[in-house]
Amino acid sequence: MADDAPWYEAALLVGVTNALNVVADSPLESLEPACPSAEADAVFAEIRAFYDRADVPTAFRRVAADPGYLADLWGATRRVFTDNRLTRRHKEALAFAASVTTRSSFGTAFHLSEMRRLGVGERGVMEVLGVTQMFSSYTKIADTLQLEPDMGDIAAVDHSPAPGGSKPSTRSAEARSLQAP
Amino acid sequence: MPTVRLRDASEYPEPIQKLFEVAKAWFKHDFADPPAMSRVMAWDPELGAFHGRAMKRAMTPGEWTRAEKEMVAAVVSGVNACAY
Repeated sequence: MADDAPWYEAALLVGVTNALNVVADSPLESLEPACPSAEADAVFAEIRAFYDRADVPTAFRRVAADPGYLADLWGATRRVFTDNRLTRRHKEALAFAASVTTRSSFGTAFHLSEMRRLGVGERGVMEVLGVTQMFSSYTKIADTLQLEPDMGDIAAVDHSPAPGGSKPSTRSAEARSLQAP
Repeated sequence: MPTVRLRDASEYPEPIQKLFEVAKAWFKHDFADPPAMSRVMAWDPELGAFHGRAMKRAMTPGEWTRAEKEMVAAVVSGVNACAY
């Protein structure tokens, strides 16, 4: 994980996880349509298949009154949780850690069940919980004493371009030539 | 700026200074000075020992690799908005 790609993936995953959690944990039951539209039902079918479950997770039911929005939210969710540089199994562990850290009841229970469904054993769950708990301790100690980062140079800087882009040196040179008088 | 004066490694007792060397091995990085967190945890060696062992136990490869666990740690730190 020396390059930036998996870290971008992790950050995007945490963002979407939090987006799902804030809606699922809020008292928004009244927003769930009693009879979802055919369009929403089609998205629900994809969600059930992805998670291999009979019900649709709360976070998606809450936004089903706008099927277009539901479809896009689901598309983003499916994208960030699909195997890529990080495995889906690891992504569920990260989502679980983020959910525990933000005290999300929905996220904690949901991603715990997903981790187990994807084959993470009790030891693996405990390992993630242990790391989450230990770093919830370190972060608060650091914040209380306002410690300044001093370990940033452990990893080398990744100079590769954004996906599909060009190398930074080329672009920088172009930018400099455009700015030249 | 830290709310306390972080002590230099040389201000700690010798057994603690040896632990700072262990930290270098753990991180596989030759720090010029021990990380601030190491020095803070060493302030109370009795707590630091328990806490450090729990952390090491949690971070040791098992069902997850060390790298996977470091990413979990980074996510928790990020969600907690901890710059350190």
